[in-house]
Amino acid sequence: MSMHSLDRRVGLALAVAAAGSICLLAAGVAIMVAGGVQPLTDPVPKLHPGRLGSDLAALRAEGWLWLGVIAVILTPAVRVAASLILFAAARDWRQTAIALAVLAVVALSVVVGYGG
Amino acid sequence: MTDLLLLVGCGSAAGALGALLGLGGGVLIVPLLTLGFDLPLREAIGVSLVCVIATSSASASVYLRRDIANLRLGMTLELFTAAAALAGGLIAFALPERVLGILFAGLLAYVAIVMVRGREPEADLDLPEASEAADPVPGADPSSFIDRLGGEGYRVRNLGWGVAGSMVAGLLSALLGIGGGVVKVPLMNQVMRVPLRVATATSNLMIGVTASSAGLIYLVRGEIDPYVAAPTALGVFAGAGVASRLAHRVDLKLLRTAFVVILAFTAIQMLARAVS
Repeated sequence: MSMHSLDRRVGLALAVAAAGSICLLAAGVAIMVAGGVQPLTDPVPKLHPGRLGSDLAALRAEGWLWLGVIAVILTPAVRVAASLILFAAARDWRQTAIALAVLAVVALSVVVGYGG
Repeated sequence: MTDLLLLVGCGSAAGALGALLGLGGGVLIVPLLTLGFDLPLREAIGVSLVCVIATSSASASVYLRRDIANLRLGMTLELFTAAAALAGGLIAFALPERVLGILFAGLLAYVAIVMVRGREPEADLDLPEASEAADPVPGADPSSFIDRLGGEGYRVRNLGWGVAGSMVAGLLSALLGIGGGVVKVPLMNQVMRVPLRVATATSNLMIGVTASSAGLIYLVRGEIDPYVAAPTALGVFAGAGVASRLAHRVDLKLLRTAFVVILAFTAIQMLARAVS
C-alpha cells in the first residue's frame, strides 16, 4: 500500500468518526432544546457510564450529550487505531509501534484521570 | 434557550475568527466562557478542549485525504505532545486557577505580539512546485528513521528539537485548553524545515490526540459540562466551516488589526480576573 493511499484511508476513517460525533452532539442539543434544558443554570449532569444506555433509550439529553462529548474526545484515537491497523498491514513495524504507544498514552490518561 | 443560542453564537464567532486568522478556537473560547459566561477557568478549558478536538478532527481528515498532512511525522511527534498533555492535565489540576489565568493572559499577550509583528515564515520553506516535489530528495536514506519522516521534496531536520518543542505544545494545550499550533507550526517550519502548508496541516492532525489526552483527564474529573460543551462545539464547528469558505472575501488585514486590540483587551481582563 502506498503512503498516499494509507493517508487517504486514515483520513476517511477520521472523517466518518468526526461526522458521527458531531451528529451525536447535534442530536443531544436538539433533545436539550425539546426538553427545555437551560445550560449555565440547570445543574451539571454527572457522567454515569452505567446509566448511559438507559439515558439514550429514554431520549434523555444528558445521555446523548455525554455520548457526543465522549465520541468527540475519542475521535482522534479512532484515527490512530486506523493508522495502527494500516501500518501493520503495510508491515511498517516502527510506525505500528508508535501508533500503539500513542493509544497507550490516551488510555493512560483515563487511568491517571481517575487515579489522581 | 437564550443561553443556548448565545453559546452557539459565541462558539460560531470564535470558530469563524479562528479559521480566518489561522488560530485554534481555544485562544478565544476560554476567555469568552470565563469573561462572558462567568464559567470557572478549569471548566472553560475542558469545554475548549472538546471544541478544539471537533474542529481539528474535521480539518485533519481533509488534510489527510488531500495528502497535505505528514502522517508519519505527526504520529511521531504526537506521541510526545500527548504524553506532555497527560502531565499537563495533572499539573492543571494541581495549580490554583489564578495561576492558570495569569498563564492564559500571558498566552494572549504573546499571540497579540506575534500578530502585531506579523512574523511570517520564510517563503523559501513553502512547498516545492509539483514537478520539483516529485523528485526524490538528494541524499535521503530510506532506511534512516528521520529520513523516512520526510515527504516529497523535503527532509525533516532537528528531530530532537521537534520532540522538545512538541512537549511544550502538549503541556500548554492541557494547561490552557488550546491546540498548541502557535508553538508547533513555527517549530516544524522554522526548526524542522518542514514546508509551511505541511507544518500547518500536520500540526492540525496532532492537535486532536494532544487535546484528547488532556480532555479525558478533564472528563473523568468532572470538569466538562456537556450542556455548555455541546452547543459551543457545534457553534465553533459551524463557524469554522463557514469562515473557511468566506476567507477570500474578508479584509484580513483589518480583521487582524481589530483582533490584536481584542486580544490585548482580553489579556488585561483575564489578568485582572486572575489577580482580583
